[in-house]
Amino acid sequence: MAAAASSEEAVKAAKVLMVGAGGIGCELLKTLALSGFSDVHIIDLDTIEVSNLNRQFLFRQSHVGQSKAKVARDAVLKFRPNINITPYHANVKDSTFNVEFFKQFSVVLNGLDNLDARRHVNRLCLAAEVPLVESGTTGFLGQVTVHVKGKTECYECQPKPVPKSYPVCTITSTPSKFVHCIVWAKDLLFAKLFGDRNQDNDLNVHSKDDSSSKTDVFERNVDEDLSHYAQRIYDHVFGYNIETALANEETWKNRRRPNPIYVRDALPEDAVQQNGCSQDHKNEEQEPSAMVSLGLRNPQEIWSLADNSRVFLEAFKLFFEKREKEIGNLIFDKDDQLAVEFVTAAANIRASSFGIPLHSLFEAKGVAGNIVHAVATTNAIIAGLIVIEAIKVLKGDYQNYRMSYCLEHPATARKMLLMPVEPFEPNKSCYVCSETPLVLEVNTKTTKLREVIDKVIKSKLGMNLPLVMVGATLVFEDGEGLEPDEAENYALNLDKVLAELPAPVVNDTKLTVEDFQQELKCSINIKQRDEFDKEKEPDGMVLAGWTGPVDKQITSNGDKRLVPSSSSADDVDSTAEDASVKPGMKRKLNEILESQENFDVQNKSDVGSSSAQIVEDDDDDIVMFNEDPMQGKKKRLQ
Amino acid sequence: MSGGIARGRLAEERKAWRKNHPHGFVARPETLADGSANLMIWNCTIPGKQGTDWEGGYYPLTLHFSEDYPSKPPKCKFPQGFFHPNVYPSGTVCLSILNEDSGWRPAITVKQILVGIQDLLDQPNPADPAQTDGYHLFIQDPAEYKRRVRLQAKQYPALV
Repeated sequence: MAAAASSEEAVKAAKVLMVGAGGIGCELLKTLALSGFSDVHIIDLDTIEVSNLNRQFLFRQSHVGQSKAKVARDAVLKFRPNINITPYHANVKDSTFNVEFFKQFSVVLNGLDNLDARRHVNRLCLAAEVPLVESGTTGFLGQVTVHVKGKTECYECQPKPVPKSYPVCTITSTPSKFVHCIVWAKDLLFAKLFGDRNQDNDLNVHSKDDSSSKTDVFERNVDEDLSHYAQRIYDHVFGYNIETALANEETWKNRRRPNPIYVRDALPEDAVQQNGCSQDHKNEEQEPSAMVSLGLRNPQEIWSLADNSRVFLEAFKLFFEKREKEIGNLIFDKDDQLAVEFVTAAANIRASSFGIPLHSLFEAKGVAGNIVHAVATTNAIIAGLIVIEAIKVLKGDYQNYRMSYCLEHPATARKMLLMPVEPFEPNKSCYVCSETPLVLEVNTKTTKLREVIDKVIKSKLGMNLPLVMVGATLVFEDGEGLEPDEAENYALNLDKVLAELPAPVVNDTKLTVEDFQQELKCSINIKQRDEFDKEKEPDGMVLAGWTGPVDKQITSNGDKRLVPSSSSADDVDSTAEDASVKPGMKRKLNEILESQENFDVQNKSDVGSSSAQIVEDDDDDIVMFNEDPMQGKKKRLQ
Repeated sequence: MSGGIARGRLAEERKAWRKNHPHGFVARPETLADGSANLMIWNCTIPGKQGTDWEGGYYPLTLHFSEDYPSKPPKCKFPQGFFHPNVYPSGTVCLSILNEDSGWRPAITVKQILVGIQDLLDQPNPADPAQTDGYHLFIQDPAEYKRRVRLQAKQYPALV
């Protein structure tokens, strides 16, 4: 890349890949087009939804249901007709977008909404040696980072914060925050009553008589009246269970004791009858709603304990009256009004039992769905920063690369809302970017595992007792400490051809090989090749990326890894060692710590989803941090 | 492609265990019918400590590792309905070193987890009950508790 090129020239010559045409993507495509970029490719698998329209301004109501990538292209061509925009309505993880595909671009710009796709693009960019500008926003927060192989850390050099999960004991026994009540209502109670009965569920089940603990109190008794069933469940989970828990004095030594709540306390006299009135409001066309039945209109209002109790009982009944077929298969969905009503009410009743402030349905829905509302302005700012960094990358101006963080409040010391940070060096022990995988050309349909182990892993890589893994699957181990049946399985694997191993080894499979004794580890990318020249390639396989005898290099975490003893001149320019001696590339640790700290403070001030990943983007009007509800479970004992 | 850190660490744990592990314990990646072994799920056996009511039992325990291991601890499960005050009805073990918010540290090894759970068997923590049955008997009826523990030990004899 010509370092001296002017910005205009660099921009004009650039071929850019944008991944994602959502919140950030729309802003980014517009900014790229207006900055003079003339060859942009866009990948996005999504179609336009109504909820996108408030900020994905390239889209109009008439576009709902159409490809984001294609509509974004058409919209931008209207004001910049002479540029080339190539849309792909596809998943970036499709195999068509392989390393060869990535190699055609001068820079890749990410506007993604999930960790998985980000990791994938990161790895392809590393493999193709194409610089990556990565971004994300969450409400008022956002960041842009630059990842250039060998010069800066890759996207995976630092572990990413994972969605917050809560210990099961806190959820089942000792909630102290509203979010604990929501998790209880959603993942335990709702799942128990309406979800898959065969699923594990750690909802505390204290049966009334210890001897016949086989009967499930959550089952509806034969001929049991629905109102009676609803009240029985209510009394059981909010009354009886709390009383049982109170009996365990040790738990409450240093905690506030909860109050058991029974229907008769929450809803004096009229309760039962009033709940019957849902029939009056019945409208077959409408989706069932306890709020509608009970005449509660404002989702932003905080209901009283009595109202919450009415909503609980009414929603419970509506599930059985109107949606009986779904019971047993229901999974909580933030867009399911009745489910949100039920969870809100249940969480609030539990909160009131534990002396935790109650919340409105709107707030509860946000907590339950891990929703952070997207801010269009943040997306626009981030898109601008992406283009600024992209231009630096195109000019090869790596001394001025910055990671930029967009904050919600001015950072303490310098009153900055946009925080620039000099990039980190690559993490030498990063699993993803620290090693250059070897490439093994081999016919996977005819070559046995034994041949690869003998001819490559043992004789070329110098391993003695190798472990061979495909992903998380072990296909071979050697050495002591194996059970007889394990040894037998591995012996069988040795005589299988690669493509027929339990975890098939085919074109593009990555093998991880370690040695049982040597502190040695490396990756081998497999390339399928049908024919070999028997004279020149007698092994029937060719190992590339391996230029000499084995050298061991100690990396920062004490691991040793394989490095070729010599490397070509081209390679030298992109090694970590080289980058680290360049001025301006040293870590400014204090500065980074300071800004990270400020950033953390911002995060912690958020409610509920406080550990929100700053990296998440807003491809919808909301952000889901925790797609797997069961991930919110952890064990604890204090 | 993901999970490189978890996988690398589990391969290390596997090697360390093969080289040296406490007597009577078993810990191995789940072997599938096709002859491969899945590093993300380990089938283990914890022997009851000698001199305790748990002696003679070889208790099956499954460790489920996530892609976030070792940032997050594995989920450790006995069979459903396992009798112990700190084991949930689902079999999930409730123990401080297995809780990312309190005792878990990424440096804790598989060996330490299993030995920790072995200790927990005979030293339940009454402050954090996870099942009604085991907890109530432990508190209210020590004789019956002892009988149930011994009965359970007989249900899990040595495999070999």
